[in-house]
Amino acid sequence: MTVEDSPVRGEPFDLPPELAIDTDVARRVIAEFIRGQLRQAGFEQTVIGLSGGIDSAVVAYLVAEAIGPERLHAVMMPYRASSPASRADAETVIAALGCSSDVVEITAMVDGYFGSDAAPGAAGAESGTASAIRRGNFAARMRMAVLYDRSVTHSALVVGTGNKTETLIGYTTLFGDSACAFNPIGDLYKSQVRQLAVAVGVPDVIVRKAPTADLWPGQTDEIEGGFSYPELDRLLFWRIDKRRSVEEIVALGFDPAMIERVDRMVAGAEFKRQVPPVAKLGPRTAGVDYLYPRRRPGSARV
Amino acid sequence: MQPLRIALAQIAPRLGALEANLERHHELLEEARETHADLVVFPELGLTGYQLQDLAAEVAMRLDDPRLADLAAATRGLSAVISFVEESADHRLFIAAALFEDGELRHVHRKLYLPTYGLFDERRFFAQGDALRAVPSRLGVGIGIGICEDFWHLTVPQLLALDGAQVLVNVSSSPGRDLAAINEVGLGTATSWRTLMRTYAQLTTSFVVFCNRVGVDESISFWGGSEVIAPSGQALFSAPFYDEGLFVVDIALEDIRRERIALPLLRDERPELEVRELGRIIAERAGLAPDSTAEPDAEPGFDLAPLPRPLRVPDRKAGSQ
Repeated sequence: MTVEDSPVRGEPFDLPPELAIDTDVARRVIAEFIRGQLRQAGFEQTVIGLSGGIDSAVVAYLVAEAIGPERLHAVMMPYRASSPASRADAETVIAALGCSSDVVEITAMVDGYFGSDAAPGAAGAESGTASAIRRGNFAARMRMAVLYDRSVTHSALVVGTGNKTETLIGYTTLFGDSACAFNPIGDLYKSQVRQLAVAVGVPDVIVRKAPTADLWPGQTDEIEGGFSYPELDRLLFWRIDKRRSVEEIVALGFDPAMIERVDRMVAGAEFKRQVPPVAKLGPRTAGVDYLYPRRRPGSARV
Repeated sequence: MQPLRIALAQIAPRLGALEANLERHHELLEEARETHADLVVFPELGLTGYQLQDLAAEVAMRLDDPRLADLAAATRGLSAVISFVEESADHRLFIAAALFEDGELRHVHRKLYLPTYGLFDERRFFAQGDALRAVPSRLGVGIGIGICEDFWHLTVPQLLALDGAQVLVNVSSSPGRDLAAINEVGLGTATSWRTLMRTYAQLTTSFVVFCNRVGVDESISFWGGSEVIAPSGQALFSAPFYDEGLFVVDIALEDIRRERIALPLLRDERPELEVRELGRIIAERAGLAPDSTAEPDAEPGFDLAPLPRPLRVPDRKAGSQ
């Protein structure tokens, strides 16, 4: 296999052939997974933050397929700078699925902290000049706070929508968009999410558009990161899933500088993927030598 | 000769819910009896669920547990393979599969190979079994039981067949993974298992009965796909992936004789050769005999010699013609 190998044709995006999955099997496994998570936890309902992007759209379709749209509640949480097109795409998903939804503007929450032209924010006078990363992370955490509040009002579990690519490189906000009760697509690379999106019938406009965190106007993941998803996904797949050494994947045609950069991103994001360490002091410590399933007899809500 | 009727209980046990799973086993034993099944096979840890971790000690049963006696009582006129966490008198926990027949517990197999790699962590929670026996059965043939990973080691099906098993039963909780589209059936795990099971059936010229669970424990989904494979290596029945069900398959035991006469692989096995060579290999690995594949300067029991190598004095005569 070399990088010159042509991607799978006939898709509205590049799908590296080695990443192609059997979407029928994936849908079946994910449907059982979603039903199993709810059953074990004793919940009937789910809430999802719907951004208008492909990841949350796919998860909404998968949840509707697994348990029916009447058990799915979508929340749209735009900020004043969010793209109106994103909102329109989210509305399309809601209309197509027939699930309930509501809109919670997070503008007042974010501006209340960082301030706006009208008034200084809770974070202090100089926070008006806060960096995009501070603002982006804060917005992601406000959305998390809204979803977890909605999970109470709907007696629902929050379904995660992060994909494997962003989880591996750390393109997520800790306790923000990565926070959830369970995640059906967290072991699928972005290219595989796109493949699944086509299979479950996510509208073409959402599948085709450039992925964006929508933290500022015109932002796209691929321009910001300096890579294309199919290229990044292939690199991660060979490096991590197939355990290839740097030398071996250079031989596959990958750029050594890109390999080094991605390796560093993956190592640097290890902390985001794990439960924080607890200082081991007692005889039996959660996560160390007190090891139980997350859900077991007695743990389901009654 | 009447065909032998096998019922595969491809169930989704509830994790840690021993009483609920016991009830389900009783229901399915009854259902199997109504279909006139001779042998009912339940999956690995069907009574407890798989991903137990520290729950293992809480759902363990001793062989004198009345709940096992109740299960035995439910097998009058039947044979059944049922799997659970067994606690020995000295408080070791085993993944066990027992053969119940005609109201009695006839045989207990303790899982021999406990995978502790990748997504598996069995050795942390369980002790490994030390014995492998084929057992005679009311069905008229020897039965050999293995649990999941046991059949990822060549020796297990071979030893069972040499010991007289003609029906090899593997009970599993195999987590499905690798959804690459290039896999034959869309699931890498299933492709591997099918290859292995057909190969064992052919090489041991025995029936292979594979019962794998379905359902979800935590992150992992079990793929089902239980099978019955003829002594020719031909799959007679393949259960659907991920669907719960009690699947009934008839087999003709005469096929074993026919296959073993036509293809006398078992007749030609050389257990004495294996024992001799294994004895040598064990001695070499323990450093008790010279290792045929080690570097000449390696210490006994090691196959590499450390640097620096002993200096060799150049042979002057060789280069001075």
